[in-house]
Amino acid sequence: MATAPQDWTERSRELSALLARAGLGDRAAFATLYERSSAHLLAVVLRINRDRAQAEDILQEVYVKVWGAAQSFDAAQSQPLTWLTSIARNRAIDSLRRQQTQPQWQTLHSPNDEDPDVYDSVADDAAGPLDLLSRASDARALSHCMQALSAPQRQSVALAFYDGLSHAEVAEKLHQPLGTVKSWVRRALQSLKTCLESAVQRDVAERG
Amino acid sequence: MDYSRPELADRLAAAYVLGTLRGPARRRFEALLPAHATLRGAVRAWQDRLMPLAAGLEPVAPSPQLWQRIEARINPATRSATTRAPAAAAPAGRWWAQLAFWRGFSALASLAAVSLAVLLANPSPTPAPVLVVLSAAAPGEGGAQAASFVASISGDGRAMVTKPLINVGLQADRALELWAVPAAGAPRSLGLISASGATVLKRDQVLKNAAALAVSLEPPGGSPTGAPTGPILYVGKLTS
Repeated sequence: MATAPQDWTERSRELSALLARAGLGDRAAFATLYERSSAHLLAVVLRINRDRAQAEDILQEVYVKVWGAAQSFDAAQSQPLTWLTSIARNRAIDSLRRQQTQPQWQTLHSPNDEDPDVYDSVADDAAGPLDLLSRASDARALSHCMQALSAPQRQSVALAFYDGLSHAEVAEKLHQPLGTVKSWVRRALQSLKTCLESAVQRDVAERG
Repeated sequence: MDYSRPELADRLAAAYVLGTLRGPARRRFEALLPAHATLRGAVRAWQDRLMPLAAGLEPVAPSPQLWQRIEARINPATRSATTRAPAAAAPAGRWWAQLAFWRGFSALASLAAVSLAVLLANPSPTPAPVLVVLSAAAPGEGGAQAASFVASISGDGRAMVTKPLINVGLQADRALELWAVPAAGAPRSLGLISASGATVLKRDQVLKNAAALAVSLEPPGGSPTGAPTGPILYVGKLTS
């Protein structure tokens, strides 16, 4: 279920403290960090690499890396879940590269299906990328900015982010030319950046 | 390409963080990161922007064996014991991590000879007292870990007597503080103990949640912070 904003903040504080202690070699703190974060990171990895055994292997590498790098985690510069999630996504994306095969997904469309609304057609056994976007409500500014994107831009970013699809894979999935998808993604990222920056400036202005 | 050009750095970082930068380009970008502060800054900014998207994912619990595999990978017990730095040389903040480390692996069994809890076996209507032997946290010359303190806890768990077994040779401006160390979480102070004679401590539940006892070196009056501030000198594991 969606995590409430205050939960996210409290969780961040707790995870920061655990990471700091793990950085000092505290294995008990590291074990607690694992308990508190592993189910979230496995979810992230599994969306990108759907092979359960491989996903757990990746998660093992992630936590070995986290243990080794915990000392370099800087709570002043990064949110702990952002840091952890980034490590997990990188490993998961790298695993696709090593495999040198395409990730498996199912397609509900038969070749002759003429459903015009390709953006509603994403086949998935779990929550679709768009459902996930609406659930990430704790990142309200981000959510707001995602909503401001055009539907195809939003869909492309969601497929790339959640499922780790490359431009070519997004293009195949959405039955669109590669160049079109590339430009959707590039423009989407640019719009997100501008939108998030103005949201930050608005926050600062309101508080100041 | 000039990777320090801000807009190029930003575009590449965005594609890298989103995951659409793939193949050799992704590897090249990663190789450049350590040397390019502009790129690292751009990556961090994009991570901050995009990672909250992952908050909506439904958690999936890993299999129970996964933690054991991770623990085996990060546990220095699998390396030679001689490569382990003595606790005295380690930063003061790390000592209870070492306790956790001690608890974690089977080599501990070999320490049992010097660091054991003995349940006196004579049948009695009241619970038997528990004896904990504390030995030097840092191996001495030749790797010997001499028994240094003994703690005897009454059967009802309300009183403890500690006694040094060696000549501790404590500096005048230092004190010894005894801690109950839980399996997880911060140590709990049981009070100051004498370096030269017996100390009697009375508490409601001396050993509540404790997995080990430890003695740290502190300023006179004990730790000012409520957590150990000096090096750990002696440790003894409890067995139930």
